Amino acid sequence: MDRPNGITVANPLTLLDKYLGIVLQLVGQATIMFLQTMRYIFRGELSLSEAFRQANMIGLGSLYVVGVTGLFTGFAMSLQISKELAAFGADTAVGGVVALALIREIGPITAGVMVAGRVGSAMAAELSSMVVSEQIDALKIMRVDPVQFLVVPRFLAALVMMPALSIYSMFLGLGGAIFIAQAKANIPPETFLDSVKQTVVGTDFITHIIKSLVFATIIIFFSCSIGLSARGGAEDVGHATTRAVVWTMTIIFIVNYIITALSPLHAS
Amino acid sequence: MTSQPIPPSSLPSFSKASEPMIKVEGLRKSFNGREVLKGISFEVFPGEMLAIIGPSGCGKSTLLKLITGLLEPDAGKITLNSEQIGLVFQGSALLNSLTVRENLALALRERKLPKREQDKAIMEDLTLVGLADYIDSFPTQLSGGQQKRTSFARAIVNDPQIILYDEPTTGLDPVMSTVIEDYMIELEKQLHAAGIVVTHQFSTWTRTAHRAILLNQGVVVWEGKPHEALNSTNPYIIQFAKATREGPMLAGKV
Repeated sequence: MDRPNGITVANPLTLLDKYLGIVLQLVGQATIMFLQTMRYIFRGELSLSEAFRQANMIGLGSLYVVGVTGLFTGFAMSLQISKELAAFGADTAVGGVVALALIREIGPITAGVMVAGRVGSAMAAELSSMVVSEQIDALKIMRVDPVQFLVVPRFLAALVMMPALSIYSMFLGLGGAIFIAQAKANIPPETFLDSVKQTVVGTDFITHIIKSLVFATIIIFFSCSIGLSARGGAEDVGHATTRAVVWTMTIIFIVNYIITALSPLHAS
Repeated sequence: MTSQPIPPSSLPSFSKASEPMIKVEGLRKSFNGREVLKGISFEVFPGEMLAIIGPSGCGKSTLLKLITGLLEPDAGKITLNSEQIGLVFQGSALLNSLTVRENLALALRERKLPKREQDKAIMEDLTLVGLADYIDSFPTQLSGGQQKRTSFARAIVNDPQIILYDEPTTGLDPVMSTVIEDYMIELEKQLHAAGIVVTHQFSTWTRTAHRAILLNQGVVVWEGKPHEALNSTNPYIIQFAKATREGPMLAGKV
Protein backbone atom coordinates (compact mmCIF):
# COMPACT_ATOMS: atom_id res chain seq x y z
CA MET A 1 0.00 0.00 0.00
CA ASP A 2 1.56 3.31 -1.10
CA ARG A 3 0.64 6.64 0.44
CA PRO A 4 0.75 9.80 -1.69
CA ASN A 5 3.99 10.93 0.00
CA GLY A 6 5.69 7.75 -1.16
CA ILE A 7 5.87 6.05 2.26
CA THR A 8 5.10 2.36 1.95
CA VAL A 9 2.76 1.10 4.64
CA ALA A 10 2.80 -2.60 5.34
CA ASN A 11 -0.47 -4.46 5.19
CA PRO A 12 -1.51 -5.17 8.83
CA LEU A 13 -2.50 -8.72 7.88
CA THR A 14 0.94 -9.31 6.32
CA LEU A 15 2.58 -8.00 9.49
CA LEU A 16 0.37 -10.19 11.66
CA ASP A 17 1.24 -13.20 9.51
CA LYS A 18 4.97 -12.38 9.76
CA TYR A 19 4.98 -11.94 13.54
CA LEU A 20 2.76 -14.98 14.10
CA GLY A 21 5.29 -16.98 12.08
CA ILE A 22 8.17 -15.69 14.22
CA VAL A 23 6.29 -16.48 17.46
CA LEU A 24 5.37 -19.99 16.31
CA GLN A 25 8.92 -20.70 15.16
CA LEU A 26 10.39 -19.48 18.44
CA VAL A 27 7.89 -21.38 20.58
CA GLY A 28 8.50 -24.48 18.45
CA GLN A 29 12.29 -24.25 18.83
CA ALA A 30 12.04 -23.69 22.59
CA THR A 31 9.60 -26.60 22.98
CA ILE A 32 11.83 -29.01 21.03
CA MET A 33 14.83 -27.91 23.11
CA PHE A 34 12.81 -28.43 26.30
CA LEU A 35 11.88 -31.98 25.24
CA GLN A 36 15.50 -32.79 24.32
CA THR A 37 16.65 -31.43 27.69
CA MET A 38 14.09 -33.49 29.60
CA ARG A 39 15.25 -36.60 27.73
CA TYR A 40 18.85 -36.01 28.87
CA ILE A 41 17.71 -35.32 32.45
CA PHE A 42 15.63 -38.51 32.62
CA ARG A 43 18.55 -40.51 31.22
CA GLY A 44 20.81 -38.98 33.87
CA GLU A 45 23.24 -37.65 31.24
CA LEU A 46 24.19 -34.57 33.23
CA SER A 47 27.28 -32.52 33.91
CA LEU A 48 26.82 -31.52 37.55
CA SER A 49 30.09 -29.57 37.70
CA GLU A 50 28.93 -27.35 34.84
CA ALA A 51 25.50 -27.05 36.50
CA PHE A 52 27.22 -25.81 39.71
CA ARG A 53 29.23 -23.31 37.66
CA GLN A 54 26.04 -22.04 36.04
CA ALA A 55 24.24 -21.95 39.40
CA ASN A 56 26.99 -19.73 40.71
CA MET A 57 26.67 -17.47 37.68
CA ILE A 58 22.86 -17.31 37.81
CA GLY A 59 22.41 -17.24 41.58
CA LEU A 60 25.33 -15.41 43.15
CA GLY A 61 25.68 -13.16 40.13
CA SER A 62 22.06 -12.04 40.43
CA LEU A 63 21.91 -11.60 44.23
CA TYR A 64 22.69 -7.90 44.11
CA VAL A 65 20.27 -6.84 41.38
CA VAL A 66 17.42 -9.06 42.55
CA GLY A 67 17.97 -7.97 46.16
CA VAL A 68 18.01 -4.26 45.42
CA THR A 69 14.93 -4.39 43.17
CA GLY A 70 13.04 -6.55 45.68
CA LEU A 71 13.90 -4.21 48.56
CA PHE A 72 12.91 -1.03 46.74
CA THR A 73 9.71 -2.60 45.41
CA GLY A 74 8.81 -3.40 49.04
CA PHE A 75 9.61 0.20 50.02
CA ALA A 76 7.42 1.64 47.26
CA MET A 77 4.48 -0.69 47.82
CA SER A 78 4.47 -0.11 51.55
CA LEU A 79 4.70 3.66 51.04
CA GLN A 80 1.68 3.60 48.69
CA ILE A 81 -0.49 1.20 50.68
CA SER A 82 0.29 1.89 54.34
CA LYS A 83 -0.59 5.60 54.25
CA GLU A 84 -3.81 5.00 52.31
CA LEU A 85 -5.04 2.17 54.54
CA ALA A 86 -3.93 3.91 57.73
CA ALA A 87 -6.03 6.95 56.69
CA PHE A 88 -9.09 4.66 56.69
CA GLY A 89 -8.09 3.09 59.99
CA ALA A 90 -7.22 -0.18 58.31
CA ASP A 91 -3.57 -0.26 59.32
CA THR A 92 -3.95 -3.86 60.54
CA ALA A 93 -4.53 -4.91 56.91
CA VAL A 94 -1.36 -3.34 55.51
CA GLY A 95 0.89 -6.34 56.10
CA GLY A 96 -1.55 -8.75 54.45
CA VAL A 97 -2.09 -6.63 51.37
CA VAL A 98 1.63 -5.97 50.85
CA ALA A 99 2.58 -9.60 51.53
CA LEU A 100 -0.04 -10.97 49.14
CA ALA A 101 1.16 -8.71 46.37
CA LEU A 102 4.80 -9.57 47.03
CA ILE A 103 4.30 -13.32 47.35
CA ARG A 104 1.81 -13.86 44.54
CA GLU A 105 2.99 -11.33 41.96
CA ILE A 106 5.78 -8.88 42.64
CA GLY A 107 8.37 -11.29 44.07
CA PRO A 108 8.38 -13.80 41.20
CA ILE A 109 7.94 -11.13 38.53
CA THR A 110 10.76 -8.95 39.90
CA ALA A 111 13.15 -11.88 40.13
CA GLY A 112 12.03 -13.19 36.71
CA VAL A 113 12.50 -9.88 34.95
CA MET A 114 15.86 -9.19 36.56
CA VAL A 115 17.18 -12.68 35.80
CA ALA A 116 15.83 -12.44 32.24
CA GLY A 117 17.66 -9.14 31.82
CA ARG A 118 20.91 -10.25 33.39
CA VAL A 119 21.15 -13.99 32.77
CA GLY A 120 18.92 -14.50 29.71
CA SER A 121 20.72 -11.79 27.78
CA ALA A 122 24.14 -13.13 28.81
CA MET A 123 23.19 -16.66 27.73
CA ALA A 124 21.86 -15.51 24.36
CA ALA A 125 25.02 -13.45 23.80
CA GLU A 126 27.33 -16.29 24.85
CA LEU A 127 25.61 -18.95 22.76
CA SER A 128 25.21 -16.75 19.68
CA SER A 129 28.90 -15.77 19.84
CA MET A 130 29.71 -19.49 20.08
CA VAL A 131 27.69 -20.02 16.90
CA VAL A 132 29.42 -17.15 15.12
CA SER A 133 32.90 -18.32 16.19
CA GLU A 134 32.11 -21.91 15.07
CA GLN A 135 32.38 -23.34 18.60
CA ILE A 136 28.95 -24.97 18.16
CA ASP A 137 30.12 -26.52 14.88
CA ALA A 138 33.19 -27.82 16.74
CA LEU A 139 30.94 -29.48 19.32
CA LYS A 140 28.89 -31.14 16.57
CA ILE A 141 32.03 -32.42 14.85
CA MET A 142 33.08 -33.96 18.19
CA ARG A 143 29.58 -35.51 18.37
CA VAL A 144 28.71 -33.48 21.44
CA ASP A 145 25.10 -32.31 21.42
CA PRO A 146 25.05 -28.55 22.22
CA VAL A 147 21.74 -29.04 24.04
CA GLN A 148 23.24 -31.63 26.39
CA PHE A 149 26.49 -29.73 26.85
CA LEU A 150 25.18 -26.17 27.11
CA VAL A 151 21.44 -26.11 27.81
CA VAL A 152 20.92 -28.96 30.31
CA PRO A 153 23.31 -27.57 32.99
CA ARG A 154 21.86 -24.08 32.58
CA PHE A 155 18.32 -25.40 33.00
CA LEU A 156 19.19 -27.43 36.12
CA ALA A 157 20.96 -24.44 37.63
CA ALA A 158 18.04 -22.12 36.88
CA LEU A 159 15.52 -24.58 38.37
CA VAL A 160 17.35 -24.37 41.69
CA MET A 161 18.39 -20.73 41.66
CA MET A 162 15.23 -19.01 40.37
CA PRO A 163 12.97 -20.08 43.28
CA ALA A 164 15.79 -19.22 45.69
CA LEU A 165 16.21 -15.77 44.15
CA SER A 166 12.48 -15.25 44.07
CA ILE A 167 12.06 -16.11 47.77
CA TYR A 168 15.06 -13.94 48.61
CA SER A 169 13.51 -11.05 46.68
CA MET A 170 10.20 -11.59 48.45
CA PHE A 171 11.76 -11.55 51.94
CA LEU A 172 13.80 -8.45 51.20
CA GLY A 173 10.66 -6.79 49.85
CA LEU A 174 8.76 -7.71 53.01
CA GLY A 175 11.59 -6.41 55.16
CA GLY A 176 11.57 -3.14 53.26
CA ALA A 177 7.79 -2.92 53.55
CA ILE A 178 7.91 -3.44 57.34
CA PHE A 179 10.53 -0.72 57.69
CA ILE A 180 8.58 1.83 55.62
CA ALA A 181 5.25 0.94 57.27
CA GLN A 182 6.75 1.78 60.65
CA ALA A 183 8.71 4.82 59.51
CA LYS A 184 5.98 6.48 57.42
CA ALA A 185 2.67 5.20 58.84
CA ASN A 186 3.73 4.26 62.37
CA ILE A 187 2.57 0.67 61.97
CA PRO A 188 4.54 -1.58 64.35
CA PRO A 189 6.27 -4.63 62.85
CA GLU A 190 4.19 -6.93 65.11
CA THR A 191 0.95 -5.56 63.64
CA PHE A 192 2.34 -5.87 60.13
CA LEU A 193 3.42 -9.50 60.67
CA ASP A 194 0.11 -10.45 62.36
CA SER A 195 -1.68 -9.22 59.28
CA VAL A 196 0.66 -11.26 57.08
CA LYS A 197 -0.03 -14.42 59.11
CA GLN A 198 -3.81 -13.94 58.93
CA THR A 199 -3.86 -13.26 55.18
CA VAL A 200 -1.24 -15.41 53.52
CA VAL A 201 -2.04 -19.11 52.95
CA GLY A 202 0.06 -22.05 51.78
CA THR A 203 -1.35 -21.86 48.25
CA ASP A 204 0.23 -18.42 47.87
CA PHE A 205 3.69 -19.88 48.46
CA ILE A 206 2.99 -22.77 46.07
CA THR A 207 1.91 -20.28 43.39
CA HIS A 208 5.08 -18.31 44.07
CA ILE A 209 7.31 -21.37 43.60
CA ILE A 210 5.41 -22.56 40.49
CA LYS A 211 5.78 -19.12 38.91
CA SER A 212 9.51 -18.98 39.59
CA LEU A 213 10.02 -22.47 38.11
CA VAL A 214 8.00 -21.60 35.01
CA PHE A 215 9.88 -18.31 34.60
CA ALA A 216 13.20 -20.17 34.89
CA THR A 217 12.07 -22.53 32.13
CA ILE A 218 11.00 -19.63 29.90
CA ILE A 219 14.26 -17.72 30.44
CA ILE A 220 16.50 -20.70 29.72
CA PHE A 221 14.75 -22.17 26.70
CA PHE A 222 13.88 -18.94 24.92
CA SER A 223 17.30 -17.38 25.53
CA CYS A 224 19.17 -20.53 24.54
CA SER A 225 17.09 -21.22 21.43
CA ILE A 226 17.49 -17.59 20.30
CA GLY A 227 21.24 -17.79 20.97
CA LEU A 228 21.75 -21.11 19.21
CA SER A 229 19.69 -20.12 16.18
CA ALA A 230 21.82 -17.01 15.53
CA ARG A 231 23.36 -16.82 12.07
CA GLY A 232 25.83 -14.53 10.39
CA GLY A 233 28.41 -12.26 11.99
CA ALA A 234 29.07 -10.30 15.15
CA GLU A 235 26.02 -8.07 14.72
CA ASP A 236 23.81 -11.16 15.13
CA VAL A 237 25.12 -11.47 18.69
CA GLY A 238 23.62 -8.06 19.50
CA HIS A 239 20.33 -8.95 17.81
CA ALA A 240 20.12 -12.25 19.68
CA THR A 241 20.73 -10.50 23.02
CA THR A 242 17.99 -7.93 22.40
CA ARG A 243 15.55 -10.56 21.13
CA ALA A 244 16.16 -12.77 24.16
CA VAL A 245 15.43 -9.97 26.63
CA VAL A 246 12.34 -8.71 24.79
CA TRP A 247 10.83 -12.15 24.22
CA THR A 248 11.52 -13.64 27.64
CA MET A 249 10.18 -10.60 29.48
CA THR A 250 7.06 -10.42 27.30
CA ILE A 251 6.35 -14.11 27.72
CA ILE A 252 6.98 -13.94 31.48
CA PHE A 253 4.29 -11.26 31.85
CA ILE A 254 1.79 -13.20 29.71
CA VAL A 255 2.42 -16.50 31.50
CA ASN A 256 2.30 -14.76 34.89
CA TYR A 257 -1.27 -13.69 34.15
CA ILE A 258 -2.22 -17.19 32.96
CA ILE A 259 -0.85 -18.82 36.14
CA THR A 260 -2.62 -16.23 38.31
CA ALA A 261 -5.88 -16.83 36.46
CA LEU A 262 -5.53 -20.60 36.80
CA SER A 263 -4.54 -20.56 40.48
CA PRO A 264 -7.17 -22.01 42.88
CA LEU A 265 -7.93 -18.56 44.30
CA HIS A 266 -9.10 -17.22 40.94
CA ALA A 267 -10.06 -20.29 38.92
CA SER A 268 -13.48 -20.75 40.58
CA MET B 1 53.23 -11.75 -2.96
CA THR B 2 54.07 -15.37 -3.65
CA SER B 3 56.73 -17.68 -2.25
CA GLN B 4 58.42 -20.57 -3.98
CA PRO B 5 56.59 -23.88 -3.64
CA ILE B 6 58.54 -26.64 -1.98
CA PRO B 7 59.40 -29.63 -4.20
CA PRO B 8 56.69 -32.31 -4.12
CA SER B 9 59.19 -34.89 -2.87
CA SER B 10 59.17 -33.15 0.56
CA LEU B 11 55.67 -34.46 1.19
CA PRO B 12 55.05 -38.06 2.23
CA SER B 13 54.03 -40.29 -0.67
CA PHE B 14 50.61 -41.91 -1.03
CA SER B 15 49.08 -44.54 -3.26
CA LYS B 16 45.90 -44.52 -5.35
CA ALA B 17 45.76 -48.31 -5.23
CA SER B 18 43.37 -48.40 -2.27
CA GLU B 19 39.81 -47.12 -2.03
CA PRO B 20 39.52 -43.32 -1.81
CA MET B 21 39.02 -42.13 1.75
CA ILE B 22 36.84 -39.23 0.57
CA LYS B 23 34.69 -39.42 -2.56
CA VAL B 24 32.58 -36.45 -3.61
CA GLU B 25 30.24 -36.81 -6.61
CA GLY B 26 28.17 -34.10 -8.27
CA LEU B 27 27.80 -31.97 -5.15
CA ARG B 28 25.35 -29.08 -5.36
CA LYS B 29 24.38 -26.53 -2.73
CA SER B 30 22.31 -23.34 -2.87
CA PHE B 31 21.64 -20.61 -0.33
CA ASN B 32 18.60 -18.36 -0.79
CA GLY B 33 18.29 -19.38 -4.45
CA ARG B 34 21.99 -18.72 -5.21
CA GLU B 35 23.85 -21.85 -6.24
CA VAL B 36 27.20 -21.87 -4.41
CA LEU B 37 28.40 -25.30 -5.57
CA LYS B 38 27.42 -26.49 -9.04
CA GLY B 39 28.25 -30.18 -9.25
CA ILE B 40 31.67 -30.69 -7.64
CA SER B 41 33.38 -34.10 -7.85
CA PHE B 42 36.75 -35.31 -6.54
CA GLU B 43 38.45 -38.10 -4.61
CA VAL B 44 41.09 -38.06 -1.87
CA PHE B 45 43.19 -41.15 -1.12
CA PRO B 46 44.78 -42.24 2.17
CA GLY B 47 47.89 -40.18 2.82
CA GLU B 48 46.98 -37.59 0.20
CA MET B 49 46.44 -33.91 0.92
CA LEU B 50 44.11 -32.09 -1.47
CA ALA B 51 44.02 -28.30 -1.50
CA ILE B 52 40.77 -26.59 -2.39
CA ILE B 53 41.67 -23.09 -3.45
CA GLY B 54 39.80 -20.16 -4.84
CA PRO B 55 38.74 -16.58 -4.20
CA SER B 56 36.63 -15.61 -1.19
CA GLY B 57 33.00 -16.68 -1.54
CA CYS B 58 33.66 -19.39 -4.14
CA GLY B 59 32.19 -22.13 -1.90
CA LYS B 60 35.36 -23.57 -0.32
CA SER B 61 34.18 -23.51 3.29
CA THR B 62 30.69 -24.66 2.28
CA LEU B 63 32.32 -27.70 0.70
CA LEU B 64 34.06 -28.55 3.99
CA LYS B 65 30.83 -28.13 5.96
CA LEU B 66 29.10 -30.50 3.55
CA ILE B 67 31.85 -33.10 3.96
CA THR B 68 31.70 -32.90 7.76
CA GLY B 69 27.90 -33.15 7.75
CA LEU B 70 27.36 -29.69 9.21
CA LEU B 71 25.35 -28.89 6.06
CA GLU B 72 23.17 -31.13 3.88
CA PRO B 73 23.77 -31.10 0.10
CA ASP B 74 20.93 -30.29 -2.29
CA ALA B 75 22.21 -32.97 -4.68
CA GLY B 76 25.21 -35.24 -5.06
CA LYS B 77 26.87 -37.80 -2.85
CA ILE B 78 29.68 -37.75 -0.28
CA THR B 79 31.30 -41.05 0.72
CA LEU B 80 33.69 -41.08 3.68
CA ASN B 81 35.61 -44.27 4.38
CA SER B 82 36.10 -43.42 8.05
CA GLU B 83 34.04 -41.92 10.84
CA GLN B 84 37.13 -40.48 12.53
CA ILE B 85 37.28 -36.93 11.20
CA GLY B 86 39.39 -34.09 12.53
CA LEU B 87 38.59 -30.51 11.57
CA VAL B 88 40.83 -27.50 12.15
CA PHE B 89 38.62 -24.43 12.11
CA GLN B 90 39.59 -21.10 10.63
CA GLY B 91 39.10 -19.30 13.93
CA SER B 92 40.31 -22.20 16.12
CA ALA B 93 36.78 -22.58 17.60
CA LEU B 94 38.08 -23.62 21.02
CA LEU B 95 35.56 -23.56 23.84
CA ASN B 96 36.56 -20.56 25.91
CA SER B 97 35.00 -21.83 29.15
CA LEU B 98 37.22 -24.93 29.10
CA THR B 99 40.96 -25.33 29.59
CA VAL B 100 43.19 -26.70 26.84
CA ARG B 101 43.09 -30.11 28.58
CA GLU B 102 39.27 -30.03 28.79
CA ASN B 103 38.95 -28.96 25.15
CA LEU B 104 40.95 -32.00 24.06
CA ALA B 105 39.18 -34.29 26.54
CA LEU B 106 35.86 -33.30 24.98
CA ALA B 107 37.05 -34.64 21.64
CA LEU B 108 37.98 -37.92 23.35
CA ARG B 109 34.69 -38.20 25.22
CA GLU B 110 33.14 -40.78 22.90
CA ARG B 111 36.05 -43.18 23.37
CA LYS B 112 35.43 -43.33 27.14
CA LEU B 113 39.15 -43.85 27.88
CA PRO B 114 40.39 -44.31 31.46
CA LYS B 115 41.59 -40.98 32.80
CA ARG B 116 45.27 -41.98 32.76
CA GLU B 117 45.10 -42.98 29.07
CA GLN B 118 43.15 -39.86 28.22
CA ASP B 119 45.71 -37.63 29.94
CA LYS B 120 48.52 -39.48 28.16
CA ALA B 121 46.90 -38.97 24.74
CA ILE B 122 46.30 -35.29 25.47
CA MET B 123 49.86 -34.72 26.69
CA GLU B 124 51.33 -36.51 23.63
CA ASP B 125 49.31 -34.31 21.28
CA LEU B 126 50.15 -31.12 23.11
CA THR B 127 53.84 -32.06 23.11
CA LEU B 128 53.62 -32.58 19.34
CA VAL B 129 52.37 -29.03 18.86
CA GLY B 130 54.70 -27.58 21.51
CA LEU B 131 52.02 -26.63 24.02
CA ALA B 132 52.52 -29.12 26.86
CA ASP B 133 53.18 -26.26 29.29
CA TYR B 134 49.80 -24.70 28.49
CA ILE B 135 47.66 -27.74 29.31
CA ASP B 136 45.73 -25.99 32.07
CA SER B 137 45.48 -22.59 30.36
CA PHE B 138 42.23 -21.21 28.99
CA PRO B 139 42.08 -20.38 25.26
CA THR B 140 41.78 -16.67 26.02
CA GLN B 141 45.19 -16.84 27.73
CA LEU B 142 46.84 -18.10 24.51
CA SER B 143 48.10 -16.18 21.48
CA GLY B 144 46.45 -16.64 18.06
CA GLY B 145 49.16 -19.05 16.94
CA GLN B 146 48.90 -21.06 20.17
CA GLN B 147 45.13 -21.26 19.81
CA LYS B 148 45.57 -22.52 16.26
CA ARG B 149 48.05 -25.16 17.44
CA THR B 150 45.61 -26.22 20.20
CA SER B 151 42.95 -26.55 17.53
CA PHE B 152 45.38 -28.84 15.65
CA ALA B 153 45.91 -30.94 18.75
CA ARG B 154 42.16 -31.25 19.26
CA ALA B 155 41.64 -32.29 15.64
CA ILE B 156 44.21 -35.09 15.81
CA VAL B 157 43.67 -36.35 19.36
CA ASN B 158 41.37 -39.11 18.05
CA ASP B 159 43.93 -40.28 15.44
CA PRO B 160 41.60 -39.33 12.57
CA GLN B 161 41.74 -41.05 9.20
CA ILE B 162 40.40 -37.88 7.60
CA ILE B 163 41.68 -34.44 8.54
CA LEU B 164 40.23 -31.21 7.22
CA TYR B 165 41.71 -27.73 7.49
CA ASP B 166 39.58 -24.61 7.00
CA GLU B 167 41.88 -21.67 6.17
CA PRO B 168 44.52 -22.82 8.70
CA THR B 169 46.94 -19.94 8.07
CA THR B 170 44.55 -17.07 7.37
CA GLY B 171 45.15 -14.17 9.73
CA LEU B 172 48.53 -15.42 10.93
CA ASP B 173 51.85 -13.68 10.40
CA PRO B 174 54.19 -15.24 7.77
CA VAL B 175 56.42 -16.88 10.39
CA MET B 176 53.50 -18.48 12.22
CA SER B 177 52.00 -19.51 8.85
CA THR B 178 55.21 -21.40 8.09
CA VAL B 179 55.12 -23.03 11.54
CA ILE B 180 51.52 -24.17 10.95
CA GLU B 181 52.37 -25.46 7.46
CA ASP B 182 55.27 -27.42 8.95
CA TYR B 183 52.87 -28.97 11.48
CA MET B 184 50.55 -29.95 8.65
CA ILE B 185 53.39 -31.66 6.75
CA GLU B 186 54.53 -33.39 9.96
CA LEU B 187 51.00 -34.62 10.62
CA GLU B 188 50.75 -35.96 7.06
CA LYS B 189 53.87 -38.01 7.77
CA GLN B 190 52.67 -39.24 11.17
CA LEU B 191 48.97 -39.87 10.57
CA HIS B 192 48.98 -40.87 6.91
CA ALA B 193 45.39 -39.57 6.87
CA ALA B 194 43.49 -38.27 3.87
CA GLY B 195 43.36 -34.51 4.10
CA ILE B 196 41.68 -31.50 2.57
CA VAL B 197 42.98 -28.01 3.11
CA VAL B 198 40.78 -25.09 2.14
CA THR B 199 42.88 -22.00 1.66
CA HIS B 200 43.72 -19.06 -0.53
CA GLN B 201 47.23 -18.64 0.91
CA PHE B 202 49.77 -19.44 -1.82
CA SER B 203 52.44 -20.88 0.47
CA THR B 204 49.93 -23.10 2.27
CA TRP B 205 48.55 -24.93 -0.75
CA THR B 206 51.86 -25.14 -2.56
CA ARG B 207 53.78 -26.40 0.49
CA THR B 208 51.29 -28.80 2.07
CA ALA B 209 49.20 -30.34 -0.73
CA HIS B 210 49.88 -33.10 -3.23
CA ARG B 211 47.13 -31.84 -5.49
CA ALA B 212 44.92 -28.78 -5.78
CA ILE B 213 41.58 -27.90 -7.31
CA LEU B 214 40.65 -24.32 -8.05
CA LEU B 215 37.03 -23.31 -7.54
CA ASN B 216 35.47 -20.29 -9.16
CA GLN B 217 31.78 -19.46 -8.88
CA GLY B 218 30.96 -22.97 -7.71
CA VAL B 219 32.75 -25.00 -10.40
CA VAL B 220 36.21 -26.57 -10.67
CA VAL B 221 38.18 -24.50 -13.20
CA TRP B 222 41.59 -26.10 -12.70
CA GLU B 223 43.04 -29.26 -11.15
CA GLY B 224 46.70 -30.21 -10.87
CA LYS B 225 49.83 -30.46 -8.79
CA PRO B 226 50.77 -27.26 -6.97
CA HIS B 227 54.27 -27.03 -8.47
CA GLU B 228 52.67 -27.13 -11.95
CA ALA B 229 50.44 -24.15 -11.27
CA LEU B 230 52.79 -21.38 -12.38
CA ASN B 231 53.67 -23.22 -15.60
CA SER B 232 50.05 -23.94 -16.47
CA THR B 233 48.32 -22.36 -19.47
CA ASN B 234 45.00 -22.32 -17.61
CA PRO B 235 44.10 -18.60 -17.24
CA TYR B 236 42.28 -19.13 -13.93
CA ILE B 237 45.19 -20.74 -12.09
CA ILE B 238 47.65 -18.28 -13.64
CA GLN B 239 45.60 -15.36 -12.36
CA PHE B 240 45.08 -16.95 -8.93
CA ALA B 241 48.71 -18.05 -8.44
CA LYS B 242 50.13 -14.73 -9.62
CA ALA B 243 47.47 -12.76 -7.71
CA THR B 244 46.82 -10.34 -10.57
CA ARG B 245 43.67 -8.46 -11.59
CA GLU B 246 44.03 -9.52 -15.20
CA GLY B 247 42.23 -12.77 -15.88
CA PRO B 248 38.85 -14.47 -16.05
CA MET B 249 38.15 -14.38 -12.31
CA LEU B 250 36.13 -11.38 -11.14
CA ALA B 251 36.20 -10.09 -14.75
CA GLY B 252 34.03 -6.98 -15.00
CA LYS B 253 33.24 -7.03 -11.27
CA VAL B 254 36.09 -4.95 -9.89
